[in-house]
Amino acid sequence: MSAISQEFAPPFKLIAPFFILGGLFYLVASFFVFGFSLEDASQFSPKTIAFVHLFLLGFVMMTIFGAMAQLVPVVLEVGHFGVELFYAIWPLLLIGTLLMAFGFLYSPALLPYGGVVVLIAMMIFVMEIFMTISKVKKLTLVMSSVLIANIFLFFGIIVGLLMALSYAGTLSFDIPALLRSHIYLVIGGYINITIMGLSIVLVPMFTLSHSFSLKPLYIAIYMMSIGVVFVVLSTLFDGVILANIGYFLALTSQLSYIYIIYIIYKTRPRKDNDVYALSLMFAFFSLIMALVSGGAYFVFQNESLLLVALWLLFFGFFGFMITGHIYKIIPFLVWFERFSPLVGKQKVPMLVDMVPYNSSQAQLIFSAVGVLLVAFALLFGVEILISAGASFLVVGAFAFFRSMLYMINFNKEK
Amino acid sequence: MSMYTKEELFLAISTVIDPEVGFNLVEMGLIYDASSDDEGNVKVTMTLSTKACPLHQMIIQWVKEAVEKMADIKEVDIEVVWEPSWNITMADDNVKKALGA
Repeated sequence: MSAISQEFAPPFKLIAPFFILGGLFYLVASFFVFGFSLEDASQFSPKTIAFVHLFLLGFVMMTIFGAMAQLVPVVLEVGHFGVELFYAIWPLLLIGTLLMAFGFLYSPALLPYGGVVVLIAMMIFVMEIFMTISKVKKLTLVMSSVLIANIFLFFGIIVGLLMALSYAGTLSFDIPALLRSHIYLVIGGYINITIMGLSIVLVPMFTLSHSFSLKPLYIAIYMMSIGVVFVVLSTLFDGVILANIGYFLALTSQLSYIYIIYIIYKTRPRKDNDVYALSLMFAFFSLIMALVSGGAYFVFQNESLLLVALWLLFFGFFGFMITGHIYKIIPFLVWFERFSPLVGKQKVPMLVDMVPYNSSQAQLIFSAVGVLLVAFALLFGVEILISAGASFLVVGAFAFFRSMLYMINFNKEK
Repeated sequence: MSMYTKEELFLAISTVIDPEVGFNLVEMGLIYDASSDDEGNVKVTMTLSTKACPLHQMIIQWVKEAVEKMADIKEVDIEVVWEPSWNITMADDNVKKALGA
């Protein structure tokens, strides 16, 4: 018998703060969009940078870290090295994210403090993952993806700290040069590779897909890894060709990843289009549109196209990949803790019963419309569409938070 | 001489439901074989729909408990195998139809 060990699954009270805070940051980031005007629509404006850190650190990273606390034993097939360390990660990440966001908006002097606190939170996370991986005897492709992603995160946050210190005037590094490395290490190297690895475990699990080749995933992970290394080298050696090779490899990686997801989708036995499936469809639609817009930016050199690409990648792809999976992960965790001991003794709910239909569908529709409206606003320079998009995003984020609380509190008194 | 037939054992195990898909393990085609000897020792050979199933140990426990509810059962041995790997063709028609497969 193949021993697959989940006996070290962490208690829900350890993971819940990550998801609740992640949901709150999703809400805050949605409100933040109201404060944008087209004048702020630049990758170097403090408002944009504050927004990106609120969204990526507060929502994306916070939720991924919480999910990893539960998924690491599933993916790595060993128990955590020190799962209690996660109790320290979320408060530090919360404080660091807020300090950084305020620092970018109001006082750059806060940035080194925020940067150091975020660095400590992430170092604890990365070291815990490394120590857990060291218990694995033989690494599979998905396990390797976790290792590779965390190596990139390690370097990405060091570059980020150097940038924070330079931004505050403590050091004098060339920020635009470091920015490219920081973005590629953290977003391409960590977030993208983590999503690739985990989704190849989770998507087939929920769609019951089988017998597909992992070769496209192998290509996707290694192309992205090499691409990130090329982009980092291009900042060290100031090489345009190196950077362009890196961008091309990253694009190839994404196409290969989209291809394997398409194969899984096409061959899935489970055809019901629940909020999970629909969220993933919108996520991949956003990813494809982001790649198209990003490609157009390289041809036309129009910054609006780059901003549209980043917006669709962040709020469209990352956002919907995460919210979609939350509708699967939280019910499972709550069910596991609250109802699994009752199996065979009394009637227990199915996981699907724990997802609130109306608010989850409202989140899906309002958030999707919001993402598209803001993308149009950025693309065509229509100011009013930003506020319109923000309105939809805020309603969607409230619906998401409400759904999350509903799932967490499902039949709590029992 | 066996205490219970394969069908009787499958019937007992069919009380175990996968909470994610909402079908029992037998109609999902996850139970490959079950047999017992005349002393009440039962052997179940089964699989799971994915190796990464987070309910792995719990499902095994549920299967064990479902069989142990039968009269005069002495010991239940459950073997989880990955070959042949499960696929949707192993499920009953009602499952395939409900899933849209």
